[in-house]
Amino acid sequence: MMDNITIAIAKGRLGERGLELFKNTDMEIVREENSRKLVFKDAKGKTTYIFVKPSDVVTYVEKGVADLGIVGKDVILEENKDVYEIMDLDYGKCRFAIAGFKDRLSDKKNDVLRIASKYPQYVQSIFENRDQRIEIIKLNGSVELAPLIGLSDVIVDIVETGNTLRDNGLEILEDLDQISARLIVNKVSYRFKYDVIQKIERILGGE
Amino acid sequence: MRYTSISEELEVTKFKKRVEREFEGYFEKNGFNLIEPRIFQKYDMYVRSNFRQDSSRTVKVLSGNSRIYILRPDITTNILGEIFSKWDGEPPLKVYYNSKIYLNRPDGKILENYQMGIESLGEDVFKADQEIVHMGTRLMGTLGRPVILELGSSKYLDGLFKELDLDQDEESEIRDLISKKNRYGLRIRLKELELEGTVLDHIFELQGDMREVIQRANSHPMNSEMREAIDELESLMEGSSSRYSSGEIKFDLSMLPDLDYYDGIIFKGYCLGVPNKILSGGRYDRLTEEFGLRVPAIGFMIDLDLVTRIRMEEER
Repeated sequence: MMDNITIAIAKGRLGERGLELFKNTDMEIVREENSRKLVFKDAKGKTTYIFVKPSDVVTYVEKGVADLGIVGKDVILEENKDVYEIMDLDYGKCRFAIAGFKDRLSDKKNDVLRIASKYPQYVQSIFENRDQRIEIIKLNGSVELAPLIGLSDVIVDIVETGNTLRDNGLEILEDLDQISARLIVNKVSYRFKYDVIQKIERILGGE
Repeated sequence: MRYTSISEELEVTKFKKRVEREFEGYFEKNGFNLIEPRIFQKYDMYVRSNFRQDSSRTVKVLSGNSRIYILRPDITTNILGEIFSKWDGEPPLKVYYNSKIYLNRPDGKILENYQMGIESLGEDVFKADQEIVHMGTRLMGTLGRPVILELGSSKYLDGLFKELDLDQDEESEIRDLISKKNRYGLRIRLKELELEGTVLDHIFELQGDMREVIQRANSHPMNSEMREAIDELESLMEGSSSRYSSGEIKFDLSMLPDLDYYDGIIFKGYCLGVPNKILSGGRYDRLTEEFGLRVPAIGFMIDLDLVTRIRMEEER
């Protein structure tokens, strides 16, 4: 049990890229194309990969059903769970930003600023110590639409190139946290499986 | 569909009671006496001596003459208040407790949870450190699964931060990065603060096998407080190494205390396959000052519900 390890991978581009880093190592897995399976083991059966929704990766790791997880910093910031964050995998780079129409934002200090976002907890934490009353409107997609149709004054979202914002006439008002793919670890696994975890860190490009 | 039946629940309670009796017997055999904390505490007294705690989490009660009381939100400070009103530091006092605490949960419900633990007051520091760590390890040993006791000292990082010229926000930022084992984040922040070339560059190397950690720590410069941390850990190791298999205890000098009144050795107990800590404790001489008398003090708390769950799984 001590040298078996379970890694939760965020479904999608970010997780796939993380998985590629294990290629040509003894932890590599082979998947049939278009497979819908969610659990894979490596050839020796020591490493198990599970594919889950990005926001669930942090939960799986915190609850210890996965020892490690590969997930974006945006999700880690939003979920704010009790896990170690031991590596920056240095890809999937983008940033959180506040965006909106600059000219339409008169002084909002005494007014409630309406913020649309997929990341309500994160928005809350950003505005916690600011002298600004806010209302958070949680959306699940197409956040850029919100200021266009008057649902919100601004948005908080991840920005890579800024093209989507520009196409919709929005501009960045403030840059927030830098985002990239991260390796997170359950606190108990970190102690019990320290050697295996260090090996994985080396595979993923750490020292 | 019903997911639990009353008879099953009673079985669990019976099992838990058995573990409780076993632990209480062990404490008593080692000279610890049961202490029953008071359930009601005066609200204004609590707020005065726990200004750092969020008092909105305490459960309030009005007495007949409309004074505000709270249901005890923790045990250690509760029993310290009781003890220090009747004890002047000698002879050493060893107590254990097994009582419920009450706190408001974020969802508005009231949380009631058992806390079990021991406190050793007024005893020689080295002797008490060894006794308490030994007892913690013994209790963990009853789980029947691989366990690890993670040991560190709050004095090491406290001492280190005194050498650095950081304001409070910067220090708490650095502490936060260390507590997340966030090596790259720490490196970037240290660079921004032009703080490279200190032990902080190597802080995550100072964890693992007891002997190796001490050796590596000794290769870095230390002030007297950091030196004390290492000396205390070293003597603990010498007193204990014959008793434990080497895998059972790991040192971690990058460990941060859960409670800010700890000042000295701190420890957490983990069990393979259980995602939360089973046991946690440390030395808190500094806290006793708030009760008017500084004495050596150390103790730990054990999560009896978790212990019960693990032992039931193992014994079935």
